[in-house]
Amino acid sequence: MDILEESGKKVVLLGNEAIVRGALEAGVGFVAAYPGTPSSEIPITFSRIAKKVGLYFEYSSNEKVAFEAAVGAAWSGVRALVSQKQFGLNVAADSIMPVAYAGVRAGLVIMVADDPQGWSSAQSEQDTRFYAKMFRMPMVEPSNPQECLEYTKIAFEISEKYQIPIFLRTTTKVSHSIGTVKLGELKKPNTKGKFVKDPDRFYNIQPHLQFLHDRLDKKIEEIEKEYGYKLNKIFLGEGKIGIIASGVSFEYVKEALQELGLNPPIAKIGLVHPISKEFISDFIKDKDIVLVLEELEPFIEEFVKQIAKDVNPKIIIHGKDMLPRSGEYNLEIIIPALEKIFNKKFIIDFKNHKEIVNSILKNIPPRKPVLCPGCPHRSTFYAVKKVYGKDTIYAGDIGCYVLGIYEPFNMQDYVISMGASVGIAHGINIVSDQETVAFVGDSTFFHASIPAIINCKFNNSKAPLVVILDNTVTAMTGHQPHPGSGFTGMGDKVEPIKIEEIIKAIGAEMRIANSFNQKQLIQALQELRKIDGLRVLISRGECRLLTTRKFREKGIEIPKFQIDKEKCTKCDICIRDFACPAIMKTIKNEETIYYIDLDMCTGCSVCMQICPEGAIHSIKKR
Amino acid sequence: MKYDVLLMGVGGTGVLTTQVIIARAANIEGYYVRGVQLHGLAQRGGIIPAFVRFGSENEVSSPGIMQANADLIIAFEQLEALRAIYYARKDKTIFIINNHPLIPVYSYVLNIHYPTMDEIIKRIEPFAKKIYVFNVSQLSRENFGNVVFGNVMLIGIATGLGVLKLKEESLHEAIKITSPREVENNIKAFELGLKLGKEKLHKDK
Ligand code: SF4
Ligand code: SF4
Repeated sequence: MDILEESGKKVVLLGNEAIVRGALEAGVGFVAAYPGTPSSEIPITFSRIAKKVGLYFEYSSNEKVAFEAAVGAAWSGVRALVSQKQFGLNVAADSIMPVAYAGVRAGLVIMVADDPQGWSSAQSEQDTRFYAKMFRMPMVEPSNPQECLEYTKIAFEISEKYQIPIFLRTTTKVSHSIGTVKLGELKKPNTKGKFVKDPDRFYNIQPHLQFLHDRLDKKIEEIEKEYGYKLNKIFLGEGKIGIIASGVSFEYVKEALQELGLNPPIAKIGLVHPISKEFISDFIKDKDIVLVLEELEPFIEEFVKQIAKDVNPKIIIHGKDMLPRSGEYNLEIIIPALEKIFNKKFIIDFKNHKEIVNSILKNIPPRKPVLCPGCPHRSTFYAVKKVYGKDTIYAGDIGCYVLGIYEPFNMQDYVISMGASVGIAHGINIVSDQETVAFVGDSTFFHASIPAIINCKFNNSKAPLVVILDNTVTAMTGHQPHPGSGFTGMGDKVEPIKIEEIIKAIGAEMRIANSFNQKQLIQALQELRKIDGLRVLISRGECRLLTTRKFREKGIEIPKFQIDKEKCTKCDICIRDFACPAIMKTIKNEETIYYIDLDMCTGCSVCMQICPEGAIHSIKKR
Repeated sequence: MKYDVLLMGVGGTGVLTTQVIIARAANIEGYYVRGVQLHGLAQRGGIIPAFVRFGSENEVSSPGIMQANADLIIAFEQLEALRAIYYARKDKTIFIINNHPLIPVYSYVLNIHYPTMDEIIKRIEPFAKKIYVFNVSQLSRENFGNVVFGNVMLIGIATGLGVLKLKEESLHEAIKITSPREVENNIKAFELGLKLGKEKLHKDK
């Protein structure tokens, strides 16, 4: 595997893989994570290599407990890393702030990936850099995979030297981009430590609190001094117009300037917090204009403006006045800004090209993401809609089932955050008589839905019907295990925690149905609909990607289905209402023919159950 | 030197493995490599554009390709070839297209016409220096019993046509380290593509 190659070798790595390598080169001994795109490849990679390199890795049930576990390790002297997506950090935030005060003993790196543009079906374009400011914690930001490796190592160094947890922040285009990386020396992980009592450090309450706060401020000051010129760099150039860039924007601007044949001075910011006052002053003091390039919020720009007041009040500072605050940057966005500032024309007219392209692509079918052929969620959605109709409020949550938002189901009336489907539905139920059905994935259930379900019971609301879509794994991010899966991130077998036992303990009316059995689903739903109070349906059916993978590994033939032309009345239900992507229609000799694409069919049999004419059969049986 | 390749595919069609193979081959030849996959939910049948860029370190830094700037576009699905014109331009871009429709379910659900291959080609032409069409899915099925080897075949075709700018040997090696389980069939598929590409090149001359 590339990330375990020997030192000195050049390999191509994903940004996320380079972070893993950097952590290995820093001798990390403890890693915990809850998966979340765009950070998921970090836990996936650790899970794969943990036993081989001899470190401890776990998938935790949510980001807060992952962070807390890592703190325990770091306090006991073992270098630790937690990784999560931006919203995961919100979950962990409650524990992070006090740990910033208390500090750490061994290095503790908090890797967090932001997702401008929302490639991961994100619910906001959160800019996590503000956490660093609020928590008074250092944050470093690499621009490419090579830097992902280096900055992870430096992050451990800073964290340990100053006894402070540190953020390693990326964005999608850094975490998910590939690049050539030169590897350094691997270090044997240290996994054994000892917790030493230390009231001076862990006494996080009044009157000691102010002492800890002052100590934290002092650390930040010192880090600014020591790393202000180490992690930020000035690239000399010509002229009085300067560029300040960080993260992937630095990669874009380097190339954009080359394309335009320009060579202005550039300041690259690698230490996002604390931003070095001295470094910025040095760079802007002799400039007439600077352009600040950073995706999302004007985090650095505002800092530069503030400093400019004292150092160079006449300087013109451009940033979000020329570039968007929302979405990602790319060359097509940055080049026009440079054209304006440097008064130079680029050979390609992006706007014109885009307009022509858009007019040509106007009437082609979209290829939105869909539930896979044979997905258990499709079957559950179909049954729920059959029983509850289209006017019921369908509370959505985070997982593959978010795709139920699209046609033909349109069954995610809101999608806010992990666990919020039930939480918000409860509020709706208190003030309104509308019927509500809340969807919850299995991993989401363990992560954040249990308190919300308990709250419904506790406060005796009519409660939504809670439909737990149990496909046995965290499917959306690549089939990671959760507490109900029966194995850990290290690959060890454990006793699975049963969702139904938890529901029973809460005291809800409950039915369990096979997701691939329409009859069972419908009967359970009809029964539950008649009952008052908190009701739960567990719709259980393994993620079909996993099933077909297991079939292939074991050499079992995947069953296939086909449509009997004679019996099919072209009612269109299997496409219009059910929309399995394996079911197609085509026109042959002016006649519409329905058929199943055998490459795509995964043999779940549900189309056979929903076809009113009995026109769909298993191929073997015929 | 800088060479920009765009792989246009659909979730689940193995685009990402193809990206890794090309990236590794370029790395073997000592190029500096950058690239990115635009995926989120794409595993679920969405569009996956994957970029691979290689060249000298000071010329290649952005992970993505600029609008109208791809040197080579390999489309694993014909409609996605059309969508890729955003990255193409007449004096520069070469298209290699797998002539095998994967009709998106929204074409039916929203009732939007899925264009024919002729319609697609006609619309791509103003953005292409050259268009090559091969039905690798069918060839893969005929030779290996399923469609999955079409991707490697496309890499072979691009190499045979001389439009990928990488050496046979480095691609061989990259395929070997990337697909340890199915090496033999992948190499066979690559060779098959290579032959097709070379034949086509010969015929065109
Ligand atoms: S649901 Fe049955 S009868 Fe209706 S179009 Fe599909 S196969 Fe034909
Ligand atoms: S059996 Fe029917 S519903 Fe299931 S994957 Fe095949 S075509 Fe789709």
